[in-house]
Amino acid sequence: MRCVVYCIQLSSIEHQDLFKPKDVECEHFEITYVRCGDHEIEKKIDEKIDQFVGWVEKHPNRKGQICLSFYEVKNKHATWFGSKIERLHWEQWYINLHVLNPKSHENASEESSSRQAALESSLREVLFQIIRFANERKDHIPTVQNSEIISFPYEISTPSSSDSSFGWHADVLKRMLQTGHPSMLS
Amino acid sequence: MATSPSHSSPESAIIEQVITEFFAKSLHIILESRSPYVSSRNYSVDQFMSSPSSSCSSSSSMPRDKWFNLALRDCPAALENFDIWRKSNLDPLVIDIVLIRRPLVPDVARPLGGCLLRNFSGNRDLALEPKSWKIVERWIVQYERHKSSSSKNHKEIRKCGTKNNGGSSCSSETAFYKKTYERYIILFRSLYVLIRLLPMYKLFRELNSSGQICPLSLSHRISSSIQPFTQEDEAKMNQFTFVPIDTPRGRLSLSVQYLRTLEDIRSEPSAPLSLQFILDYVGSPTTDPFRRLKSLPSARSSPPLVSFTRQHSWSNDHGALASVSHCPSVACSEARGIRCNPSLCLPPLTHHNDHSPPVISESQNAAVTHKNNMSFDEFWPSPFSPTSSPSSPAHLPGQRSPNALQSGSSQIDIAKACPNTASQTQAYSSEGKQQIKMDTLRCGNYRTGLTLVKHHRGFPSGKDDTEKLAELPSSSTQRPRSKSSSGLSLSDKFDDCGFACPFADYKDVTGSCNRRSPDAVIGAVVRMLTTAAPLRQGLSDLCRPSQVFMDESLNPCVQHDQDNTEQSECRASTSEILASVLLKSKTAAEGLEELRRYKEMKESILKRGASWSSDVDSGPKVCRQ
Repeated sequence: MRCVVYCIQLSSIEHQDLFKPKDVECEHFEITYVRCGDHEIEKKIDEKIDQFVGWVEKHPNRKGQICLSFYEVKNKHATWFGSKIERLHWEQWYINLHVLNPKSHENASEESSSRQAALESSLREVLFQIIRFANERKDHIPTVQNSEIISFPYEISTPSSSDSSFGWHADVLKRMLQTGHPSMLS
Repeated sequence: MATSPSHSSPESAIIEQVITEFFAKSLHIILESRSPYVSSRNYSVDQFMSSPSSSCSSSSSMPRDKWFNLALRDCPAALENFDIWRKSNLDPLVIDIVLIRRPLVPDVARPLGGCLLRNFSGNRDLALEPKSWKIVERWIVQYERHKSSSSKNHKEIRKCGTKNNGGSSCSSETAFYKKTYERYIILFRSLYVLIRLLPMYKLFRELNSSGQICPLSLSHRISSSIQPFTQEDEAKMNQFTFVPIDTPRGRLSLSVQYLRTLEDIRSEPSAPLSLQFILDYVGSPTTDPFRRLKSLPSARSSPPLVSFTRQHSWSNDHGALASVSHCPSVACSEARGIRCNPSLCLPPLTHHNDHSPPVISESQNAAVTHKNNMSFDEFWPSPFSPTSSPSSPAHLPGQRSPNALQSGSSQIDIAKACPNTASQTQAYSSEGKQQIKMDTLRCGNYRTGLTLVKHHRGFPSGKDDTEKLAELPSSSTQRPRSKSSSGLSLSDKFDDCGFACPFADYKDVTGSCNRRSPDAVIGAVVRMLTTAAPLRQGLSDLCRPSQVFMDESLNPCVQHDQDNTEQSECRASTSEILASVLLKSKTAAEGLEELRRYKEMKESILKRGASWSSDVDSGPKVCRQ
């Protein structure tokens, strides 16, 4: 998960300062991915991933989805409930995951190794796809107008934040009040 | 509003500079992840903070690593002359990542493949054998300038101006450049991530981190021309092309062709990949001191080495294993104590033209198993040589001994004849003294050494077994006497084998010799000789008739028993055979015989004198006149 998220993040973040990539070796796969090197961003990403892992542990064998959105802040309108911030999502990445618990078989070691190899191959393919997508379309990326902005604002949505019966609704209402009707992506 | 072709030169200079830096940055990113370097790869953000290059942020004097907002590690050496080599941005930049496979054993005739193969000049071929290297990746960076001022870019520029709320052309162009620059940034970040996902990166990391000797190495070749791959190579490769980025006057593109998998390359047989140790390692107690040094010129003509697993230098198998790689053939048989490692059996002798002696010797505790189909024709060192020491390998002559053992012989740990008859005669000329001449022993004539020992044993004890030591050959061609009537055939057999061991326990000797040092072997033989039973009684009895015969002829006063006569009659048939052997006695044997006879005469005279004195005392006195 971290590979995918950081790969997406790396392709989209606009840094005014010098970007110092940091190579990270995957624990379970022979894949090297790159982190952006910004502590705040890394911390936020790691927290979201830990939330998602917690949700997976609570809901085994269920499909989950992580959404990574990049948006622009537009048109702050003052309302009775507060300042209205319009978010213009110009890019959204949906990462669908289906985490399965491995069944115990006689040849567990062989199956696990083959499963791991297949998973590594598919992960590598996903990373290739991300790079391909990120390079194919770049025209929609907004130009950085304000030099004070370090990176484009982004948002990571995990099932844990919207799965609770009460929390989901509150989160949606809060967003509706803040952003208004979300604009369609071009 | 269109941008005139003859726009301000500073702008074109900036564009050219960006394009140049684009090439340099691409090369930097690629070589950083493909060209092994000495410095550690572990770096942190702090290093960048402290480095002087990171402090500068101005675009005009921006350090090279800060271009496109991507800080990299130290610039590889390949980039130092990049600007000098690169004459025009219109030439493509072709970076071939080459995987080199070289043998572990350095070959003088073959150049080492670990050197940098960078070539800035162009189409020079690699100075290596064709099969020892392979292009595993090819990166192509190109700038294609538009033939005419393309209207597409003008539209792009105007579009940027529109987006920026309809600014002037300058602002639109500035916006376009900024946009283009952002695309460069994204491209290089994608390149940075992609290059670590390719199969070659794993090998690069292994080669960088591993401190072991590896036959594989990575190198690169930079050129400005594209040499097409063969269809076969092309089929094994995948291609990834980044979306080209438009510039005001052209287009920049970046693509890569890479091998889909490296397993085929790693499994391709080539030079032996197993580790091989220095075969003539000096200092190991298990080293055969008589082994020829491999650095000799004749050793280079040996056939390709057989790979073998690494053995500890102090293990018992060291000598055996280390020796076989240059040992053309070793003669073994079931009857012998030496055993050769079956995994190290080499081709027959015909394949070898090096007369270097095999390394296996009894001085080493080599637990090797032997093969029946191996033939031995090498010069074995003498086990009795006093100069043998574990740490001093001797340089043995490479000539083949005339008495070299053939297959089927039973003693191969005994040194062959080193023709040194002078020293042998010196040993034989000594009387009554045991002199195991060191020089005689050094020549490696086991037969001679044994004969001397035998000589010592028979002489001082005064036993009537001079016949046992009658045979003291002055040359290596003489045959020792055998023990029994069938001994001649046995000795003949030994002689056919080029070896003579008159003792019955020769097997034990060889068996023990296989595992002991030369000194221990000598001691064992001496002990055996001292404790061995006397030679056949029959032989002594057989010799007596002839001796009696000889005594009668020389000294008629000697009395002999009728028993001896009877014995002589009984063994008349065998005495004829022995007589022929005795007739070949040497001067020492004759001397001993004479001495014995003199002793007997002396004794007899003394007896007579005693009897006479008694008669004189008892009988009438005879007056002397």
